[in-house]
Parts: sequence; C-alpha cells; structure tokens
Amino acid sequence: MPILAFEHLVKSYGQTVALRDVTFDVQPGEIFGLLGPNGAGKSTLIRILMDIIRADSGAVCVFGEPRRREHLDRMGYLPEERGIYTKLTVIDVMTYFGALKGLSRADARRRAIEWLGRVELPQVAGWKVDRLSKGMSQKVQIASVLLSDPELCVLDEPTTGLDPVNVRLVQTLLLERRRQGRTTILSTHHMNQVETLCDGVALINKGRLVVYGAVEEVRRRHSLPEVRVHAQDAPPRVPEVAGVVSEADGIWRLMLADGTRPADALRALVQAGACIDRFEPMLAPMEDIFLRVVREEAA
Amino acid sequence: MRGVRKVRTIATFEFLTTVKRPGYLIATFGMPLFVAAYAAIVAVPAYFAAQDDEADAAYGVVDTAGIIALDGDVRAPRLGIPDEARRTLESMGQGAALERALAGSNFIFRPFGAETSARAALLDGRIKGYFVLAEDYMTSGRVEIYSPDQVSFSSSDARSAFTSLLRARLAAGRVEPEVAARLVSPLHDQQRLSVSPSGEVSDGGRAATMVRLAIPLVFIVLFLVSVLMTAGYLMQGTATEKENRVVDVLLASANPDEILAGKLLGLGGAGLLQIAVWLLMALGTGIGVVPLLLDAGFTIPWLVVGLAVPLFVLAFLFFGSLILGTGSLGSNMREAQQFAMVWSLTAALPLMLMSVLIRDPHGAVARVLTWLPFSSGSVIMLRAGMDPDQLAWWEIAGPVLVLVASTWLAIRLGARLFRVGLLSTGSRPGFREILRQARLG
Repeated sequence: MPILAFEHLVKSYGQTVALRDVTFDVQPGEIFGLLGPNGAGKSTLIRILMDIIRADSGAVCVFGEPRRREHLDRMGYLPEERGIYTKLTVIDVMTYFGALKGLSRADARRRAIEWLGRVELPQVAGWKVDRLSKGMSQKVQIASVLLSDPELCVLDEPTTGLDPVNVRLVQTLLLERRRQGRTTILSTHHMNQVETLCDGVALINKGRLVVYGAVEEVRRRHSLPEVRVHAQDAPPRVPEVAGVVSEADGIWRLMLADGTRPADALRALVQAGACIDRFEPMLAPMEDIFLRVVREEAA
Repeated sequence: MRGVRKVRTIATFEFLTTVKRPGYLIATFGMPLFVAAYAAIVAVPAYFAAQDDEADAAYGVVDTAGIIALDGDVRAPRLGIPDEARRTLESMGQGAALERALAGSNFIFRPFGAETSARAALLDGRIKGYFVLAEDYMTSGRVEIYSPDQVSFSSSDARSAFTSLLRARLAAGRVEPEVAARLVSPLHDQQRLSVSPSGEVSDGGRAATMVRLAIPLVFIVLFLVSVLMTAGYLMQGTATEKENRVVDVLLASANPDEILAGKLLGLGGAGLLQIAVWLLMALGTGIGVVPLLLDAGFTIPWLVVGLAVPLFVLAFLFFGSLILGTGSLGSNMREAQQFAMVWSLTAALPLMLMSVLIRDPHGAVARVLTWLPFSSGSVIMLRAGMDPDQLAWWEIAGPVLVLVASTWLAIRLGARLFRVGLLSTGSRPGFREILRQARLG
C-alpha cells in the first residue's frame, strides 16, 4: 500500500494551469525524487499535499486514506523559500515548530537540543536566528522539520547553499530515515543526488507527469542501447553490435543492433574470441533524461 | 482536541514572544510614566497660576448708597462649598487642605469716598478694580464695575465675592440671623436624589453620576485601546510571517482557523495583560477613589460588572477576527493598516456618539446601536451603567446572542480572508480571488 498517492490532481491559478491530471504514488520507506524545471508545478503539488492550498479536482491519499488535517502531524515540510523567525532564539523556534507537530513543549525542546547535536550545531541553541550563517540556518531548519520524526517528509531543495561536507551530512540523515522506514520526498535539481539517494522518481513538466518510476528502471527505459566494454583489444565485429567507439585506451562504447539485449551482445563477443575485462550496460544519467524530456516537451 | 492543542500552542507562542518584546515592555511600563510626565508638564503652569490666584486682590468700593458701610479693608466672606463636595473631600483625607484653602477669601474690599479717588488707586495699581453702588441702589440695583482695559479671568470671582459681601451686609440687622444665613447660602446643604421608574430613591449626586458613567466609559476606552493596540501587534506579526515565509510552515501544521484563533488569544492575552498592568498602576496611585465611591453611597452595579468580561471578550474576538482577516490581505504593513482601519473606526463609533448616548441612553440611536454587533458591547455597558432599570432583559439577551453569532461568523470570515491573505505573498489578491478562496473554505 502506498504511503502517498496523488490521484488526477488538477490545479489552475486563473488562466494558468499549474497541474494537469497528475497521478502517481510513493511507497513507504522510499526516498522519492520530485523533479522538474522551475515553474513546472512541483511546489504547487507539495503545497496541495500539505493542505496549504486546495486542488481544483482530484484527491490526495496519505497513510492509506484520504488526507485529513490530522495527518499533518505525521508529516514534515521544508519549503524551498525558507521560513523562520529571525528575532527569536534557535531553541525557541525549534521548540515551537516541534510543538506545532503535536510534541509537548518539553519533548520538543529535548529533541531540538538532540537534533542540534546531530546537525553539528549544539552551540547555537541560545543564539538569535539572525546571527546564524545561511548554511547554519538551513541546517537548523532541516533539524526543525526532522525533530518530530515525521513518517512522511517533504524536503524542497534541502542542500542548496550547503558546502560538500554538510551536503554529505544531510544525505546521511536521509539515508538514516530510509533505514528507519521513514519516507522522504526530495524535491531537487541536483541529479546526482537523485541517482545516489532516490528509490523512485517523478518528473513534472508544465504541470504534467512526464516521467515516473523506480530510478534504475527510469534510467534503463531512457537509455540508448549501448554498453561499455573494458578490453585489451578492439572488440571483434559481430552482428549484434552495430558500431564501436573508442572512449579511452582499452575502453570501448558499443552501440547494439536493433532489438539486441546486452546479454546477447556479450555472449556473441565472447564466442567471437573477445577478451573482456569489464562489461556494463550504459544507463543514461538522470541529468540527460531530464534535459531530453524537457527539450522534447518544449519542442 | 487536536485543534484546541494547536490553538493553545500558537497562543502560548504568540503571548510569550509578544510580552518579551522590548517595545511591549516599554509601552507597558513606560506608558504610565509618560502619562505622569505629561500630567506634570500640564500641572506646572497651572500651579503657578494657582499661586498667583492665592495672592490678595484688593478691590475698591464706592458706596454712594451708604449700604455696605465699610470702616476699612474687609475680606470677603468665606467661600461656600457644597456639603456633598465637602464630605467627599473630607472622606478622602483632604479636610485639612480644604480648611487651609477656605481659611479666607483673597478678595479684599477697600472703601473709597469718591469714584475719582478709586479711579486714581486703580491707575496706580493699588487696586484691581472697583464697584460703585448707585445712590438709588435699593430701588434700581444699579452697580458700576470698573476694571483695567485688559483681559482678566478673575473678574467673575471678584463679582461673586462682592455679591456675597453685599448680600451679607444687606441682610445684617434687617432679618433674623437664620434667615440672613439662608439668604447668603440658600442651597447650603443640598443633596441630589434620583427616583427610578419603580419609585425607588437613590443617590443622584455628582459623584454617584460620575461613577455610574465612569465604568462604561472606562470599558469603552480600554476596549478601544486593546483592540487598536492588539490589532497592531496582529498585523505586524502576520506581515513579518508573510515576508519571511514562515506561513508555509505554519499552514503545513495548523489550519487558518487555528492560526487565527491562536494569534487572537495569544496577542489578546498580551493586550489584556498590558491593560491590567496599567489599571493596577492607576489604582495604586489613585486609591483615594475608594472613599469617594463609599461617600457617594455607591453600590456595585453587578449587572455591569457581570457583563463586562463576556462582552469584552466577544467584542474583542469579533473585531480582532475582522481586523486580522482584512489586514492580512495587504501586501505590506502599510496596506494592512489601511485595510484594517475601517474596523478600528467602527469600533470607535460609540465613543464618537457618546454625547448623544449620554443625553438619551435609551433613545432611538442607543436602541439601534444596542443591536448592532459593531457597537452592542459598548452601548449595553453604557446603558446598563447609566440606567439599568430602563434596559429590558431582552435588550441584553438579544444583542448578546446577535454578538455571539456575529463573532462566530467574523471568525469564519476572518479565517478565510486570513488564508487568502497568507497565500498571496508579494501581491494583493483581487476581489474575484478572495471570493473563490472563500468559497473553497
């Protein structure tokens, strides 16, 4: 049973259609990538999920039932446009956000201190928020969202502006959530993060769902029929291989003939006497898929 | 239950963050000091003017009619003061001060044989003016009063003092001493009483009337101060949350109704606390009011006291919802204040019509305003305080029900406008968008 399901969502702002019949679901325990160019409708979709705005039609189901206000206590949200009270102390803000998610003030405060330690900022608890650097503020906000341990969490560009060390820290936190069976929806433009972190992915463009599925499956589906071969000598000519390109010394890219599976090509090459050190089907990078789909839509 | 918890969380947060603000603390504890400083600034010139008034002022008397028969300088008779005022001042522990003040008049009347010598004394500055009693004064009552060609505020006091002197001299030896005393002070021991429609007699003196007026007036003024001040905090907080995008985080945790209710309760509590501090400070310095009330035979108007808190809370929630809802539609603080201004002015309506309401607390204007939720709280308090017997029970129960229903509607409407306002960051929503969002609920 999916933990989240969007069913035929439609949303317009005046004459502008933001979402057109969007339907997909997310499985429990996944890190799910929500992709799309700027203005594609991602934020609208997220705000509908969090009941900040209402869809014109369609339904949102969470935890196996139609979404109600009560479900929001089990969900977390880090907006792309960060929101935080700048004149208050870090601990007060975090305690308030935790209490809004149903924690007692004492529990929220205890967890806030614990989470400040986890994001390596234990010293800022008593600081005013406006004293924090941009990166510190971002980590405080991520901790504010995660301290209530939400079963379903939406993080909109959580690593933007963070240095590589802190990006790795946030990624570690997300992987930890996955190990604990928590679900995270990650809206991001960093395609390498999608490839390394996400289990599933949805790509929205101009309000329509254009790509959806497990990351590996999506990459395979959008990949060209090519394999990369590491070998001492140039691969022998076989009917299953339509073309060969040398990428580097001992590395070859082979274009497969129509309808040929990589396993068939490998078998044919070995039978033709090829001495192959390494053989890997080439998966299209998510970035290529993103660019290709968006360009095709534009065309 | 979940909603109540959210409202409590938001209310606690808003209350605590507001009462810790330097601006709030300065206003709460600085305002009484400011008022005291202002009073001192006003009092200093008044003090010097009073000192000036206390100096002896000599006036000449040319008695051509031979009635007053002054042998030399005569101080005017001691000034009368109504017994009611005397008792009040004495009950406040001001008896000694009163005696000092009334120890003697500062008007001295000096006889002159002829008008020319009196005029010379006036020109020399030895006297401030002079009175000439005509020869036929007993039949004509004609008196000429001469004074310098300049504006004077004390001449009427001098005339009053001379009238008292004249009255005493006219009566002396002509009538019985008791009659003479009554002629000088015919309403010496007056007591004002009021008769209710049911025939009951009660104290109708100035002090009692003042107290009966004071409670509703204090209610109206405090209500206005609370609404306007809290509305400022509400709009400032909301504008900040819109600017720094905290609204999305809030709306992802609580619905607009809960946010609005939490803000109203939290900031309303901060406003009420501020008023309570002011009242306590005022009571601490004005404890002398208690003997005044006791002396006036004041009985506690339980109806007014009982209605004050529920009407205050209802009216506060009613206006607070509307002010916050419409104020949140503004794209910045200035626009928010402009939008909310209409409600602030509406809340002040009873104060603007106060003279009409006091003159006729049960007239057509008062009766209409009693039923309007915008003014019912203030007007019911005023009518119940001034003349409770004329206020039928259904004129309280009916408008209170209307106010309860209106408050519920105002909170609903305010919450929907609040939602539209919160989501329309950076731009002002059009009327059509407001209607559309309001329908979505």
